[in-house]
Amino acid sequence: MKESQQKTTDFGYKTVAREEKASMVADVFHSVAAKYDIMNDLMSFGIHRLWKRQAIACSGVRKGHRVLDLAGGTGDLTAKFSQLVGDTGQVILGDINDSMLKVGRDKLRDLGLVSNIEYVQMNAEALPFPDNSIDVITIAFGLRNVTDKDAALRSMYRILKPGGRLLILEFSKTDSEALSKIYDFYSFNLLPTMGKLVANDSESYRYLAESIRMHPDQETLKSMMEDAGFEQTSYQNMTGGIVALHRGFKY
Amino acid sequence: MLNTLLVAAAERLLNTALELDPSFATSLEKLQHQVLAVEIRDWQQTFALTYTGKSFMLFNNYQEQADCHISASIATLSELKDPSVLTRLIRQEALDLHGNLNVAQAYSQSFSNLDIDWPEQLSRYLGDAGAQQLMQHCQSVKSRSQQLSKVLKSTATELLQDELKVTIHPLEMAQFKAHTRELKQRTAQLEQRINQLLAR
Repeated sequence: MKESQQKTTDFGYKTVAREEKASMVADVFHSVAAKYDIMNDLMSFGIHRLWKRQAIACSGVRKGHRVLDLAGGTGDLTAKFSQLVGDTGQVILGDINDSMLKVGRDKLRDLGLVSNIEYVQMNAEALPFPDNSIDVITIAFGLRNVTDKDAALRSMYRILKPGGRLLILEFSKTDSEALSKIYDFYSFNLLPTMGKLVANDSESYRYLAESIRMHPDQETLKSMMEDAGFEQTSYQNMTGGIVALHRGFKY
Repeated sequence: MLNTLLVAAAERLLNTALELDPSFATSLEKLQHQVLAVEIRDWQQTFALTYTGKSFMLFNNYQEQADCHISASIATLSELKDPSVLTRLIRQEALDLHGNLNVAQAYSQSFSNLDIDWPEQLSRYLGDAGAQQLMQHCQSVKSRSQQLSKVLKSTATELLQDELKVTIHPLEMAQFKAHTRELKQRTAQLEQRINQLLAR
């Protein structure tokens, strides 16, 4: 049965009513927004910066492009895209969570990046843009928090210009058994403790670990992109498949 | 991932150079948003460099369209400092070039004109006198080490050629080459004669 026809959905390992998930995810991010960047660096040992670099290299963003950095959080990708698109382009930092948007806006302003960035609070399932209006969409570590992923992918496809591309950077499934065991121990034991110590919030980081396990694997996500209409879909695994970068085009 | 980490470190270095030499940014102005992709055949890797007007961005695994795309081996790339060899390298298929050559030349020009005023930069931490003294000391160490390496080289050459007789003198090598060439010619002549005799 299609995701959009079900009445319940996952929230980590829990099953909750579909209409509740967005607000529960929002609570998680309201709670972690202030310490989001420092926790990202701590949790990934800084490797998240390399994953994001790879996404930017594959984005094909050029001067004059209109880019949507969806679930852009604190604006790591937006900062780079803003420089790549130049004065004639535009980057839209979109997030469903206003706390994250505020942190992102403050950070980017402090970096002196103001002229070509717009901040829009939006739901990925119903993007507030006209058809064929965006050159590149990126969603980094955000798709797993979306309630109806199929609807979100269809919405992204709708607003992309023909020739445009979608990049999804997301935690995925590793095929190495040894790495998987270490990763599980780290995620369910160390991660919540770090969350407790640094952000005083172990539950949010437990949700993070659980939501990663509930997210579709590489092949499933690729076929979901194809179902939404994307062509030439492909993915590349990073750090043994802990993270995967999916790419699809609209023609 | 290791490659990406090294490229990130290289990007950081480039951006530091940009901060240390204000004239560097001026020389790069006309290159804003122009992408130079360099495919290094030995490593089967493509690197892309772009200047955004504020900073450099350097990527590995670049698969997008660049304004100028160069494909060559490391040895060939080092030859590119001399622009007159360009046509010869392309004809020999040692170099592939697509797009706007001016982009590659302008980047190369900007990098060769990079001139960081180290005493000025160091004076913030050491004071003017300290920085100047340190730079003078570095320069004298550099010239002394260059001289020392020259002396060491000539001593080693003398020792190996004349004392220990492990290697041959360049003149002996030239003579050997001349003899070999002569032998080659004679062999070719002999081969021709044999062919003529066989043809009768």
